[in-house]
Amino acid sequence: MVQPKKKRVWDLPTRLFHWLLVLAFALAWATYDDSRHLDIHTISGYTFFALLLFRLVWGVVGSHYARFSEFNYTPGEVLSYLHSLFGDGTKYYIGHNPAGAWAIFILITLGLLLSTTGLIVLGGEEQQGLLAGYISFDQSEPFRMLHEMIAWGILTLVIVHVSGVIIESLLQRENLIGAMFRGTKWVVGESAMVPAHRLIASLIFISAIIWGGLSLNTYLISSDDQPYQPFKGPSLAMNDLWNEECGACHLAFHPSLLPARSWQYLFTQQENHFEEDLMLDEETLSELLNYARENSAEKNKTEAAWKINRSVMKNERPLKITSITYWKEKHSEISDAIWQKKSVQSKSNCGACHFDAEQGTFQDSAMKIPD
Amino acid sequence: MKKLVLMLSTVVLSLAINMQAQAGNVETLQSEYQAAGAGNFSASNGEKMWVKNNLDKKSGKQRNCQTCHGKVLTQSGKHARTGKVIEPLARSVNSERLTDIKFMKKWLKRNCKWTIGRECSAQEKGDFLEYLKGQ
Repeated sequence: MVQPKKKRVWDLPTRLFHWLLVLAFALAWATYDDSRHLDIHTISGYTFFALLLFRLVWGVVGSHYARFSEFNYTPGEVLSYLHSLFGDGTKYYIGHNPAGAWAIFILITLGLLLSTTGLIVLGGEEQQGLLAGYISFDQSEPFRMLHEMIAWGILTLVIVHVSGVIIESLLQRENLIGAMFRGTKWVVGESAMVPAHRLIASLIFISAIIWGGLSLNTYLISSDDQPYQPFKGPSLAMNDLWNEECGACHLAFHPSLLPARSWQYLFTQQENHFEEDLMLDEETLSELLNYARENSAEKNKTEAAWKINRSVMKNERPLKITSITYWKEKHSEISDAIWQKKSVQSKSNCGACHFDAEQGTFQDSAMKIPD
Repeated sequence: MKKLVLMLSTVVLSLAINMQAQAGNVETLQSEYQAAGAGNFSASNGEKMWVKNNLDKKSGKQRNCQTCHGKVLTQSGKHARTGKVIEPLARSVNSERLTDIKFMKKWLKRNCKWTIGRECSAQEKGDFLEYLKGQ
């Protein structure tokens, strides 16, 4: 009987890639349904994407068992491998077995699709990221669903992958999860030389630390007024006259929060503006109205604008933003206790929770419900 | 070079004059009201008007200037409907107050209408300003 020898199978960059990918996916999953943490979701997504791109390169130039050519099995080989699991003559693979190899190829493909659809949704819905400005809200909408479906697909595959690893570990009587940490396996017979590639691994590690630090440092320097730095998209057109006239009595609600016909109606009835007479002269009125028309909800300049405009019937011209279906749904989970808080008090006091209310951007991440 | 300096200084000077004319001061506005028929202004009359309650028929509530500006003019007030903070009116703590004629005219007009239900006379507006000047 040949004694098994402890040999390095997985180089350091491959292992680092593997666990950072797990971390990035887990973080993105934990924050996917929470718009307040869209920034973390996005940062994780970029990390995930960058790791996959690295893996594509590493699959060509990396060490022996990390190369795609090493585990490029045919579907027939996968089937016979799976079949052999139920028999007694399980074939031993030092690197990836055929089923694992296919799981990896599918995971990488789905991962790249996940990253791409994520960028499309980010560009369209938030007007942020690499594709901001190239994609409209309407165009990005179907990709949101696709993005979610792919993520569920990946999660399913991860479960299959982990189950496979556990089965293989039992069959080989070796902790393969541990092997992905240590990099070594007990190998019988000849195996290929695998260098550690410490330099490349250090570069990946340092980049990850710097990138994570730069992206998340604002959480470290947060205060009560500014708990974190909002994840900023493009800024909107501002108008001094608008801010001065409207802002004297209430938040100068950005024109993107109502359709143009609402603004038109609001200004034609200026002598009865929520029981006040605005007494604006002709010149002021026309400047305000022009600014409102050029930046109204129909112009789809923000996610809020797009969704507000979608939810207002064409024959309606709401005067209160808070009467709009989208607004109501979006705020339906906020309890009366919060509305009555001293720092909130009025539903028109957007700035109590939205730090960027004055800028009109209403970023998902620029929001904090007071404690 | 001399020409440029002359040109620049003319521009700066005309800007300065222009700003002065735009902002003006509270006395200029008061003399304007006097030209429109008002007599001498009285801070105590202004104060009486300031705190006098007026019934708003629609809401059935009493209103006076303190409703929004608060009881202490050196402190900030709060918009009655929206709750938006209104910076203190007293110029002893807020140097921007009573410096912009256009601004003063606009708010004297709007706020008289909301509070009393009508526009104020030149005399009344001048009295308000006289009262506020001492704050």
